[in-house]
Amino acid sequence: MNLDEEIKQLVNRFNTGILRPDEVETLEKYIEEGRVDLSEFAELQAFYNRLILDNSSEPSAKLNTRFYSMLAEQKTNASKSWFNTFNELWYSKPVVRWAYGFILVGFGLTVGLILKTNDSSNTEINKLSAEVKEMKEMMMLSLLEEESINDRLKAVSLSRELPEASERIISALLETLNNDENVNVRLSALEALVPYADDSKVRVGLVASIAKQESPLVQMGLAEMMLVLQEKRSVDALKNLLENQETPAEVKEKITETLEILI
Amino acid sequence: MLKVKQGQLDALGLLFERYKKILFGFFYNMNLDQNLSEDLVQTVFERVLKYRTGFNGDGEFKVWMFHIARNVNIDNYRKSSRFKNEDIENHRDISDGVGSIEEAIGKGEELDILNAALNRLDHEKKEIITLSKIEGLKYKEIGKVLNCSEGAVKVKVFRAMQSLKGEFLKIQKTV
Repeated sequence: MNLDEEIKQLVNRFNTGILRPDEVETLEKYIEEGRVDLSEFAELQAFYNRLILDNSSEPSAKLNTRFYSMLAEQKTNASKSWFNTFNELWYSKPVVRWAYGFILVGFGLTVGLILKTNDSSNTEINKLSAEVKEMKEMMMLSLLEEESINDRLKAVSLSRELPEASERIISALLETLNNDENVNVRLSALEALVPYADDSKVRVGLVASIAKQESPLVQMGLAEMMLVLQEKRSVDALKNLLENQETPAEVKEKITETLEILI
Repeated sequence: MLKVKQGQLDALGLLFERYKKILFGFFYNMNLDQNLSEDLVQTVFERVLKYRTGFNGDGEFKVWMFHIARNVNIDNYRKSSRFKNEDIENHRDISDGVGSIEEAIGKGEELDILNAALNRLDHEKKEIITLSKIEGLKYKEIGKVLNCSEGAVKVKVFRAMQSLKGEFLKIQKTV
């Protein structure tokens, strides 16, 4: 017996009222799978078809009134801005006012704390920087007093690490350039003064130093620097050096070149 | 409904006008109470408004609305069943096993008996028959309302039809 025949027999047995409970389950399975249509149960379908739902009652006008009142209320609520809501809460709930007060105070404290922290940390940093600079200056000045050439060279190098040179440092470097017994230290001091050449005091100091130098290397270094700086105030000092019989020929040559450009 | 979802609440008025009768019919046939049915229709539209953002627009509004309506009716049924049970506990002598509807039928016509039979069905069977009798609501859509397959709906209807026939015959014998 194929499936279609089995289903047909099950439907017939159901319609004649002789279907066993286990067969009902099978029939329901076929209904669920769509193999059996409910219209095949003629008598059952007839009952079902004769049933007409009770439509004698209709909703009253009261339902309309209630619905449209509810809708109007919802529309009013929806159109209320957040400000109105906040306003209502402000006047009806003291806790909102307190919360607002707390938030404002909290905000103020936080901002204050941040500003204070920034201020104090900046002050701390500036203070520390000043202290470090002071320490380096002190170290440099004390190293320049040392007998060791290396220490004095270190002192000059230290001046290059300073963000800006104080008058004290510039004076110390000019002093070293003019008076240190070691040529290398003097040359190093000359190089250390280059970054501050815009300072007129440095320029005057450098020009004045020309007459004080005996080392050819330092003399040539100074002549070179005057050329770079286009310092016309050095012409007289350079001419004096050129006229000096003790000035080596290489230095005179350099000075001549420099003077040709400067004049 | 999508307009309602977007905030055009006036559009809900159109949906109300279109579906209020059909919804009322569902509730009335389930509960046989005019005022209660109106209350439940109102509740459905309140929920539609409240949960409007939950309508994804994929399915038909009617299916979504009946899903809500069914839940509203079940909530009411559970509430009223609880009250009924309390009443039964307090007044055990009142229940005689025969509904008042049958008494009202008297020697009435077949349709009255059929309706009386429908009202004697349990909640689930009465619900499936009522839903299947609502115009334009197909088995597939009822499946969506009940969260089950179309085939499962057919089986539920098949069982409910058998019970309906059984109750009909029982009442007919007493008339």
